[in-house]
Amino acid sequence: MFPDELDHLSTHELQRYAEILVYIAAADGELVREEIAAIESMMGRAMIHPETRVSLRHGFETPVPLEQSLTNLDVKLAKVALRDAALVAAIDGAYDKREIEALRALADAAQVSETALKALLDWVVAGWAWHNEAAKILGK
Amino acid sequence: MRPSAGFIGKERAHRSMLPDTVHKLPREERFAYARLLAYMARIDNELTVDEMAMFEQRLGTALLSPNQRDMIRASLKNPPTLEECLQDLSGEAGRLALRDAVMMAAADGNVDEEEQDALEDIAEHLGLKEDAVAQLLQWTVKGYRWMKEGYELLESLEE
Repeated sequence: MFPDELDHLSTHELQRYAEILVYIAAADGELVREEIAAIESMMGRAMIHPETRVSLRHGFETPVPLEQSLTNLDVKLAKVALRDAALVAAIDGAYDKREIEALRALADAAQVSETALKALLDWVVAGWAWHNEAAKILGK
Repeated sequence: MRPSAGFIGKERAHRSMLPDTVHKLPREERFAYARLLAYMARIDNELTVDEMAMFEQRLGTALLSPNQRDMIRASLKNPPTLEECLQDLSGEAGRLALRDAVMMAAADGNVDEEEQDALEDIAEHLGLKEDAVAQLLQWTVKGYRWMKEGYELLESLEE
C-alpha cells in the first residue's frame, strides 16, 4: 500500500544508495558503533546481497566521495537517500556541520529546498520521540 | 482491552531505522534476540517480503558475527520453539526482542491470533504489565503513521 522506492531499486542503485549513507555516516570524521549498526540495519532493510555488503563495508574505512555518488543521480533515488541519510546522520545524537553540508549537497541532487530539508529533519526528530516511547512502555 | 487481530487493517508496515540499543547488548544476548525474531518471522509459516526485510534490518542492527547470522538465517528454515527462545532471553534483550517482535508481527499489516498469543507469552515471561503488548501494538501503529508521513513527505519534497 505504501511502496518504498527502495523496493524498486536495481542492485547498482542500491549500492549507490548505500555508498551515500556510508559517506554521510562517516562525514563527521569517525564512524561510531551506532552508525555502523545503522548502516548494517539499512543494508539489511534494503536486502542488499551479502557479498555486496562486504564490498560496501570497505567504505567504512574509505567512503566513496559524495560528489562521485551524486553524479547523474536519479532524483527519486536521491530523495530516498536523503530521507535515510537524515536518519543516519542523526543516529549519534546530533547533526555535525559536515553532515549538514553533505545533506545539503544531497538535497540539491534531490531538488529539495532548504525549507523541505528542514521539514525532513523535523520528521526525524518526531521519529526519535516516537521510538523512545517504547522504552516507557517496557518500563525502562 | 487488547486490540483485535488485524488491528492495522490495510496499513502495511513501512521500514525505517532509528537509534537503538540492541547493538550494545552482549553478543550472546543479541543472538537470543535475533533467534526470537526468527521464531516470530516463521510463526504463521509464511514469510512475506516485508517481514524478511524487517528481519534482515534487525539482524543488521544486532551486529551479529557472520557465523551467528548464518545460524539465525538457518533458524528461518528450521525455527526454534518459543520455549527454546525464551530460555535464553531475559532483561533488556527480552524487552527489545518483544518490542521488535511486535513490529515484525505487524509487518505484513496484520497480527493474527497465533502471533498475538506468542507476544502475550513473551511479555508474561518477561514479567511485563498485562497491557504491555496492547500498548506496544498501539505504539507500532503510531510508528507506522510516522513512517507513512516520511514517505508522503518524500513525495512532496520539491524546490
